[in-house]
Amino acid sequence: MTVVHYLNQFFAGLGGEEAAGSEPIRIDGPVGPGRALAAAGLAVDVTIACGDDRFGEHEQESLETLLGWIEELDPAVLVLGPAFGSGRYGYACGVIAREAGRRGVPVVTAMTPDSPGVIAAEGVAYVVPTGSNVASMKDAVPRVAALAKRLAAAEPIGSAEEEGYVPRHRRENVRSGRTGAARAIDLLLAKLDGDVRTEVEPSADRVLPPPPVPDLATATIALVTEAGCVPQGNPDHLPTRHANVWLRYPLDGVGSMSPDAYVTVHAGFDTTFANQDPNRLVPLDAVRELEREGRIGALHDTFYTTTGVDTPVATAVKFGQEIAAELKSADVSAVILTGT
Amino acid sequence: MFITALPTIAQMVGANRILKGVSITYPAGDPSLAVGDEHALRRRITERALEMLSTDVGPGTVWETP
Amino acid sequence: MSSAPADLEIARFAVGEVVGGTQTGRDAGTLHLSLPELAVSAAEPALAEATVDIVRPGEPVRIANVIDAVVPAVKADDPGATFPGALGPLAPAGRGRTNVLDGVRVIVSCDWSVTGNAEAVEFPPSFVDMAGPSVERAPYASTTNVVVTCRPSPDATIVEADRAVRRAGLTVARELAATTIGAKPEIEPDDIERLHVGPSSASDLPAVCTVLQVASEGPLVDTFLYGAPLGGLVPTLLDPLEVLDGALVNGTYDWPSVRNATATYQEGRLIRELLAADGKRLHFAGLIVALGYLDTADDKQRSALQTARLARLIGAEAAICTTFSSGNSHTDTMLTVRALERTGIRTCAILAETNGGLTDHVTEADCIVSTGNEDELLEPWTPERVIGAGDDAMAGERVPLSSYLGANDETGAFDLTAVTA
Repeated sequence: MTVVHYLNQFFAGLGGEEAAGSEPIRIDGPVGPGRALAAAGLAVDVTIACGDDRFGEHEQESLETLLGWIEELDPAVLVLGPAFGSGRYGYACGVIAREAGRRGVPVVTAMTPDSPGVIAAEGVAYVVPTGSNVASMKDAVPRVAALAKRLAAAEPIGSAEEEGYVPRHRRENVRSGRTGAARAIDLLLAKLDGDVRTEVEPSADRVLPPPPVPDLATATIALVTEAGCVPQGNPDHLPTRHANVWLRYPLDGVGSMSPDAYVTVHAGFDTTFANQDPNRLVPLDAVRELEREGRIGALHDTFYTTTGVDTPVATAVKFGQEIAAELKSADVSAVILTGT
Repeated sequence: MFITALPTIAQMVGANRILKGVSITYPAGDPSLAVGDEHALRRRITERALEMLSTDVGPGTVWETP
Repeated sequence: MSSAPADLEIARFAVGEVVGGTQTGRDAGTLHLSLPELAVSAAEPALAEATVDIVRPGEPVRIANVIDAVVPAVKADDPGATFPGALGPLAPAGRGRTNVLDGVRVIVSCDWSVTGNAEAVEFPPSFVDMAGPSVERAPYASTTNVVVTCRPSPDATIVEADRAVRRAGLTVARELAATTIGAKPEIEPDDIERLHVGPSSASDLPAVCTVLQVASEGPLVDTFLYGAPLGGLVPTLLDPLEVLDGALVNGTYDWPSVRNATATYQEGRLIRELLAADGKRLHFAGLIVALGYLDTADDKQRSALQTARLARLIGAEAAICTTFSSGNSHTDTMLTVRALERTGIRTCAILAETNGGLTDHVTEADCIVSTGNEDELLEPWTPERVIGAGDDAMAGERVPLSSYLGANDETGAFDLTAVTA
């Protein structure tokens, strides 16, 4: 019975942020938190690891390598993380768990319930909810080990409420025995009788509107865009679609989005008008005017950009959380986000 | 807040302060206007955005720029 | 139902076995087909080649590059008038008598990517498997299928070639059904549907209409009404019986599990259910056809408003909204639902899910029929024979359900759905 454990660069002992670009590696036996899993009764045979940035920026390639190893090892269970509150690490765990799970490998991972990795896992993996930092390792490890052992033994796992994992909202295709047409008529007539039922609902991932900015004249406002607006020449190679990165650029001393200095690389719309005047996408000139007039305290000195076409929801959630974290630590009060 | 020409999608994904943009290809502008008029439009859009940021709203609120 | 005057009579002939032979004809329940003769009848100047094969349920065959399925049908009194506008000369469909075969379908295969057409190069794989894991998940494995494989002539324009491929499939469908005519002794149908759509009635049953969403974005992604593509369509009324009788023909060849084949319109499951319930559980108020995939938010909104206006004018109190394919057509469905509900017309929408859940949603869409997750990956299967593809057509690979014709049909034709596990 083979157990494989996935870690990021930090927990695999490769280093911190400076090692976030590490390519996938494979190590015999348990490493770091893997030893804690072993102590909790789950012997780890092989550890695989990848840098969080490496995975985020080279997802297809990294997945191919990691899934290749997983397929070769044919584990009885694959454990990923715990990733706690790290969005990038959680995202990688979620994606790998989903892909391995869809190929028939039992998977269990652990992270905060609002991690983009939960969305990325698409209900395929069992996700053990954790606190946001490594302080909850002691609590998470035994729960992950216990669930993993049962999965490896092909034991049936109960519902999310019974077992304490994050609800999976997994949808399974079945033949209903009645055509959609017959069901539509039944549901519609029931609705007319006051009995409103549906076979599918949107996910309930909602954030309440934050309270209004109390005093704009003292507030710092930031500009963010998914319109793919970048300096001419796209020096950092923002992808034109299916973006795997967001970028930041300085706005110090920049009064307007001049067409000589900026361009949009978004593949999802006709960029002719936007490239004549990029202020049409990122209204910098107007915001600067209002800043000069004292209507806002200040425009944040950095603007954030990515391309929002063909970008998976989990990736977009990750970007939003990361950009928001930077803006919050820079005491930015509000964002004007523009989209196409 | 979010300036976009597709406010229904913005509502669906959970944005709360949504300002309807002019067009998919130019949310904060209008190339059919003379330069001065377009600039004035962009200023009004941006002012409306600031107004939305300083107003209490319910979930999925969509405003337009008069 | 059978005592009311019939506008359209559909005589249904069951087919037991289908065998190749020297002549095309019918002998008791067995259909004999001369494959070479059928291939000749399918020939068109804009086609380099057309071949015909028979495949049966359970055979280890994968049909690849599937672009359409057609119910064998013929206008009994005037066979030449079958599929008016698309094959026959213009004449109203939905009247008179039509003979159809049960248990047999024509499957049309054409690899459009060889033309280099920009759209076609992006088409995903499109399969009908006669055995293997998709049999439980997709509708065309349970009929005997007469496969018409076409190769466009390199000298033909894409529009000419497309018209030719369509005519080839429709011709074979007509020829198969024509075996029920002119035999001596005359062949008796196994069943006769007598269909009638009455005028608007002031009954106290709820008045229910249906909105049939179609797509018509250009060559290889068009829907044809009496032979003309529907690009630019303003929502309009169709006679449900003409939809069942060959007025609508499919010319869209992408995303097979979620688009409508010609057979989808002929089988008209939702129309037949509404007709069966008419006068008993509801009053069938009418059928509106409208486009999905409109380009801008304003175009989508405009179409939704006009659909709602039509529904109101025909006295509908409720509407069943179908969907065509995936992606932004779901926004068309949702905006249509919203416009109807805001007019006071209650709705039920029919659509497919993805791995990411619903593609779009509005709060008014509180009643949705799910036709299953199109992203489900099926277990790998290796056919012993592939028709219609020069390569191995993903043999031994996991294929997503989205590649199987009709599997996630969003007109309510099939019984696949999804439940929370």
